[in-house]
Amino acid sequence: MPNSSHTKRVLVVDDELLIRWALREALEAKGYVVTEAADAAAAKMAVRVGAEPPDAVVLDYRLPDSSDLTLLAAMRDAAPATAVIMMTAHSTPDMVSSALDLGAVRVVSKPFEVHEMVDFVATALAAR
Amino acid sequence: MGSSRLMSAINHFGPDDQMSGLLRAIVESSDDAIIGKSLDGIIVSWNGGAQRMYGYAASEAVGQPISLVVPEEHRPELERIQQEIRAGRRVASHETVRMTRDGHRLPVSLTVSPILDARGDVIGASAIARDITESKQLMNALVASEERYRSIVESAVDAILVIDAQGRVEAYNAAAARLFGFAADEVIGRNVNVLMPEPYHHEHDGYIGRYLATGEKRIIGIGREVTARRKDGSTFPVQLSVGEMTIDGERKFTGILHDLTARVQLESQLREQAALTRLGEMAAVVAHEVKNPLTGIRGAVQIIGTRLPAGSRDAEVIKEIVSRIDALNDLMKDLLLFARPPQPRIATLDPLPILTMVIGLVRQDAGARNIIIDLDGSSPPVAADAELVKLILQNLLLNAVHAMAGTGRIHVNVAVEDQTCAIAVNDQGPGIPPDVRAKLFTPFFTTKSRGTGLGLSTARRFVEAQGGSISIDCPPGGGTSVLVRLPLAAKS
Repeated sequence: MPNSSHTKRVLVVDDELLIRWALREALEAKGYVVTEAADAAAAKMAVRVGAEPPDAVVLDYRLPDSSDLTLLAAMRDAAPATAVIMMTAHSTPDMVSSALDLGAVRVVSKPFEVHEMVDFVATALAAR
Repeated sequence: MGSSRLMSAINHFGPDDQMSGLLRAIVESSDDAIIGKSLDGIIVSWNGGAQRMYGYAASEAVGQPISLVVPEEHRPELERIQQEIRAGRRVASHETVRMTRDGHRLPVSLTVSPILDARGDVIGASAIARDITESKQLMNALVASEERYRSIVESAVDAILVIDAQGRVEAYNAAAARLFGFAADEVIGRNVNVLMPEPYHHEHDGYIGRYLATGEKRIIGIGREVTARRKDGSTFPVQLSVGEMTIDGERKFTGILHDLTARVQLESQLREQAALTRLGEMAAVVAHEVKNPLTGIRGAVQIIGTRLPAGSRDAEVIKEIVSRIDALNDLMKDLLLFARPPQPRIATLDPLPILTMVIGLVRQDAGARNIIIDLDGSSPPVAADAELVKLILQNLLLNAVHAMAGTGRIHVNVAVEDQTCAIAVNDQGPGIPPDVRAKLFTPFFTTKSRGTGLGLSTARRFVEAQGGSISIDCPPGGGTSVLVRLPLAAKS
């Protein structure tokens, strides 16, 4: 749960508008401040070096301009303190272990329960 | 003595007698050995042929017993000849062996005839022997050559048949017997169409007739893939090449048949693999394109649902929408699992805890509430992927549960059979008709009103990917028995 001294900020990255909307609604209901990105370029802007990075990112594996783990690696570089949760519609064991090696907190298969995803975010932030 | 009477009979033809001179010249010039002998077997005349053949000069041979040129082992035969001659009977041309001066055995064709005096009494015998060494060698060479060709034909991997112009089988080699299941004596003399399924069975005589009438070659010298029929009625693909020959003026046809079963199977496996690869690529794209929006729809609908009055009709509809979305997602998952099975991660596993765990899961299924599932037997560890084994067993047990209509007993037995771990899932359901059983592993084949038809085909892909096998049997006692065999782990 976000505490009063610092409202936690979450970036949701997915090209599917309904996923962004559902996650935003559910996260905001829990008091998070949510920003959205529909592609990798927008996501990188949001986590660029020098800006204040979000506390957590919910990141889709496959985006119109990215379909591998380079975006995850770039985010981990730019904002090592940010917790990243990956989402994917089709995971392979290799992809999951590579994502975890790169520092993703967890890899969640689509479709997922929206409220479970909110819990995952809370758990990841509580651990920091 | 007979001998002296014979001598006088011979000497009766005096040297100045013209006829006698001619006869002597004829006898003398013959390549055959012509020998005169008395009734008691003493040689009285010996021509040049005899000298050349046996190596004795006339002066050496005359006066000696005929046994001079008869090897020890043929003496009983000589005795029989002498008896025939004394009885006045001719000993017709026959093959035997005589001996030369240096002890060499010589194959000969021998004719012995009695010599009669003017009163008709037997006074001696003439023996004519022809050296048959060469024809014997020729015959042996012929037999060897025939044997060589026979062994080539008999040892051939391909079936070789010879038929006559009426289609009757004249020759049929060992490979043909193996391939067709008929022994040679069951086929030779019969129409070759016993080896053909319809329509060839009835049309084959017509093919030969047409060729003989028109000379138009449709298969001779060309070869073609055709279907052949075994003794048990089953059919199989062969490459047939036909040659033509004429023996003693009769038309014959030689058929060489190469079994294509393995190749055709391999080709169909390759085609299936290629199709599965394409399906896998397609499924990955479709799954992504479907699951992504499904996730969005599901999430958005759920959020909207939370804003509706709890227990309202609208809130119930939202729940229904979500469950439909989940069903669609399950379908996508099944399709992906079949089309893109995960690479097995083989480890050494104890199968029993996995079975116990899966049985525990299946017992929670709504349809399994009144079904008893028991497990017995044991097995050493297997070399398999735990996740895949779980999916396979869960699928098979749920199938068994669904087959049982709510009550009964499912018996799971584990045993070591043929160096594999054999896991049998036996249900008490209605069993499966044979025509359905043949299609059970075909992707998308289902008898359920709601099913993808991918469960068993996926199970088989998983089992085979781990080096195992799966089979389904309906024992006469009823129910269905599914047997999964997994490789045992190597003993450490």
